Amino acid sequence: MSTQTISKSSTWGGGNSPFNVSYGKLMMWVFLLSDAFTFSSLLIAYGAIRYSYDSTPIEQIDALELKFAENVQEKFAPDVAETASHAATTLEHGAEHAAEHAEHFIPALRELGVFTEAQWPSPDLVFNHFPFAHGLHLPLIFVSLMTLILILSSVTMVLGVEAGQQGNQKAVSKWMLLTIIGGFMFLGCQAWEWTNFISAGARMWSNPYGPPAFAALFFGVTGFHGFHVFSGVVLNIIIYINNLKGTYAKRGHYEMVEKVGLYWHFVDLVWVFVFTFFYLI
Amino acid sequence: MSSHTNNNVDIHDTENYDPTTWVPKVESHGTKDIWGRFWILSFLTIADIVAYFVWPPSMSRNIFFIVMGVLKAWFIVGTFMHMKHEHKKLGYMIILPMAFIIFFLFWMMYEGNFWGTI
Repeated sequence: MSTQTISKSSTWGGGNSPFNVSYGKLMMWVFLLSDAFTFSSLLIAYGAIRYSYDSTPIEQIDALELKFAENVQEKFAPDVAETASHAATTLEHGAEHAAEHAEHFIPALRELGVFTEAQWPSPDLVFNHFPFAHGLHLPLIFVSLMTLILILSSVTMVLGVEAGQQGNQKAVSKWMLLTIIGGFMFLGCQAWEWTNFISAGARMWSNPYGPPAFAALFFGVTGFHGFHVFSGVVLNIIIYINNLKGTYAKRGHYEMVEKVGLYWHFVDLVWVFVFTFFYLI
Repeated sequence: MSSHTNNNVDIHDTENYDPTTWVPKVESHGTKDIWGRFWILSFLTIADIVAYFVWPPSMSRNIFFIVMGVLKAWFIVGTFMHMKHEHKKLGYMIILPMAFIIFFLFWMMYEGNFWGTI
């Protein structure tokens, strides 16, 4: 607390808060702005590199969809009957099917000329998997589920901030816990997405679906975002434990919940743009 | 954005600030707005997916997706991050630099088209 005599008429003369926020919250905003610049540079690089390649032609995509339909009829339909009769071995069947998919299906498509190093693959040909639906062509469905999970966890976070503003310690705990669960669900989905892409043969330096830059940018940007989500979950857990111990109730305000909430919403915001660039464009 | 009419906020004001930490006292704005924004964001995401399947790939479709992204960002920053209720100057400090960045996103995506022909 300052003991100096300060002229209150000067906005930037010190002794007052020009933005009417505490130092910590202002610095969180400044950090988020700088982090937004970092993510923007990655997305700008993605946009520029992606359009320096030709895209996979539409007719080939249609041919591929037919091929997928045949694949479903030939391979998946008997698989369903088999799986139904051996419910206990469902997971094993799934793993086998994934291995088969990676070993034979993609090379077959490469022979068809769908994936070449000169053409940027359409994302719906690459990320078309959904858990327990092996061999089906389901573009955008899984990633939409991930988006929904992250938006919902943003909602629970802001409800937690709201509860903090009313000084309701129990409600803060409840909403923070739900936010943490949402964060873990998202991380699990992302791990599944990476596993699929890696088991299809994608690496930082090579990509069975086309230009290596596609895989490098995908791992780089979603990895950077995933690490942000992970850090956010760790921060949320710290806040959750502090709140259980009554730290904020003793302090008289729940501003820490709000500050960490800002970071969590930012992570959601970045996902909106990662979704736009990697899956839609 | 803010309902504060006085630009020069005195932090020695114990009515609006916590007297031990000088953190501005905040008021709750209710949960109705939050759920409203959730439905808007879900709707915008579904609209994106529909556009993806009915609109053949083109640069104008990409611009549509980025505009939709900016719209979603508007609701997330405005309501979830409470920017609507903050001081106006803070909003300008954050939003103005990002407006240039969004322009840069369009620009580099478009320019990428010509890299092979230089």
